Amino acid sequence: MKSSIAIGVMALLVFALLGGSPAEAYLMDTTVPQAGGCPAFDRWNLSLASPLNRRWSTSLPLGPPTLATVAALGSAAQLSEIEQVITDSFGAWSGVTGTTFNATNYPGLIAPLAQVSAASSCSNDAENNVDGLNTICFNQPSMGFSSGVLAFTRVITADAPGVSVGVSATAAFAGQILDSDTLFRPDGQATFATPAALATSPGAYDLESLLAHEIGHWFGFDHSAVWRALMFPFAPPPGQFLGSRPTAQAPDGPLSDDDRTGIRVLYPDPNDAVNVGAITGRVVPANPFALAAIPAPSSGGSVTGIFGAHVVAVDADTGAVIAGTLGGWSCDPSNFVVQFDGSFDIERLPVGHSYMIYAEPLVGLATPGDFSDALNDLCASDSAAPCTTPAVNTNFNPRIRPAVP
Amino acid sequence: MMRKMNGSRRMSFVFRWVALLLAVGGAAKATTLARMSVAQMSHAAQAIVRARCVENSAGWDAGEIWTFTSFQVQEAWQGSVSGRIRVRLLGGRVGNLTSSVSGVPRFRSGEEVVLFLERTPRDDFSIVSWEQGTFRIRREAATDSESVTQDSASFATFDPATRLFEAAGIRNLPMETFRARVYAAMSAETRRKQ
Repeated sequence: MKSSIAIGVMALLVFALLGGSPAEAYLMDTTVPQAGGCPAFDRWNLSLASPLNRRWSTSLPLGPPTLATVAALGSAAQLSEIEQVITDSFGAWSGVTGTTFNATNYPGLIAPLAQVSAASSCSNDAENNVDGLNTICFNQPSMGFSSGVLAFTRVITADAPGVSVGVSATAAFAGQILDSDTLFRPDGQATFATPAALATSPGAYDLESLLAHEIGHWFGFDHSAVWRALMFPFAPPPGQFLGSRPTAQAPDGPLSDDDRTGIRVLYPDPNDAVNVGAITGRVVPANPFALAAIPAPSSGGSVTGIFGAHVVAVDADTGAVIAGTLGGWSCDPSNFVVQFDGSFDIERLPVGHSYMIYAEPLVGLATPGDFSDALNDLCASDSAAPCTTPAVNTNFNPRIRPAVP
Repeated sequence: MMRKMNGSRRMSFVFRWVALLLAVGGAAKATTLARMSVAQMSHAAQAIVRARCVENSAGWDAGEIWTFTSFQVQEAWQGSVSGRIRVRLLGGRVGNLTSSVSGVPRFRSGEEVVLFLERTPRDDFSIVSWEQGTFRIRREAATDSESVTQDSASFATFDPATRLFEAAGIRNLPMETFRARVYAAMSAETRRKQ
């Protein structure tokens, strides 16, 4: 099968369109297994009988209030209004077809949303006593809230089978997520408005946009360099929102195709016959000596391709960005050594479409600093095959290349 | 069936896509980070330092896994700090557990940075607005000059001290220009307090 290429990079984009090859690289958080092995995607174990638990703390800041709602402060209606935003934010992700998280095709995987009353329900502040309960908190202080930090999500994963925290399930594989919590800043430096209250709450951030993004982190996503993606690290300014509001017909409205592709990669529906295409390749320099000065990432290893290029698949007919990833590495399961060879792998693309591939340096709207967690996770110093993640290579220039005949 | 584009259509497509990226360049607001100018960060910071990363470690505190990074202070632009300081940032790996928090900067041993710092209740430091308060120093060997790039360089910021709008954050700014901007912001803040 052939495909069109619109941009090569500084040199060579080795490229193939395949059907359903194993994932090697994508913009997810990963964990290196303690016992050695290739970096594994961080994800929930959906083979468990028990569904993914989720709850939120109804303790809300009052001095000053940080949640703007149409309903009166402190009323039951206010809690309902906030809970509807949480439900819709989860619904955006569980509304995507082609994934086992789809609420219609796989009901019951996500537990009903529970309420708790304690303000500090997102951890108990007792050293390493993580509770294994997935919680959203609006009134829990944290030393993580330095000036300007509005909200964050903390995802706890295991690096070996048999590990658990609190009441979490016992991990069956490295990278299994055991606990996810989202904390919104409670001290009044920022205000968050429900969609109904956004227009009348000047200076407030759209709660649904922020929360749907944070829940993407719950599922194992890092940030995306695709501007339109919900997982892009920068959200709309106060008073605005991105994309569409969720509806009964399109609950995944807030998401972009890049977000949808991502959750299909993490949690593929085995019955999905549409989103099974994959594009793989390598981004390498025209002059391989351009890489010679990069320090060796591991004993005996070397950097043989562009690391950290933003590789994007675009629907050739519509111009829509379908998926993007940070390319640059692969891992041979036979020796567990991460190779920084410029590889990329964009999976779960709808078949029957023509795609163009772009590879660009991370010097545009997103920068390497936006993805430091995902990139640094590729190497672990205490694993059987330690390595050091090389610096993201932004020192190359895209240029037009003719399509491969 | 796959279809191939002809050359002109392909070029047009590419330029439309690039144009779109340029057009949205001003849209910025962090999911987790509030927009802050250099002046605002200078005001929020108890210390502004140029420092070299020494080492990283990770550990538990207050129900969280933190990455603790030691820096050797090379210059203190604001605040009375010297010698080696410790910066704590959310996330890290302890035992069999990894805590991931997106948007948190990470540092390599030997790396040189300018950091806007706040003291924590544990008497160490956190970074103002995480990646926004982190500026990586790059040295050009050919010219022996230095420049700084903000980790959140895609961030549009307005600096009240200079009345300049940074459409793409601070990127590849000469070190001396950056230092002058920070000092101007600090001076403006001092005058405002008087």
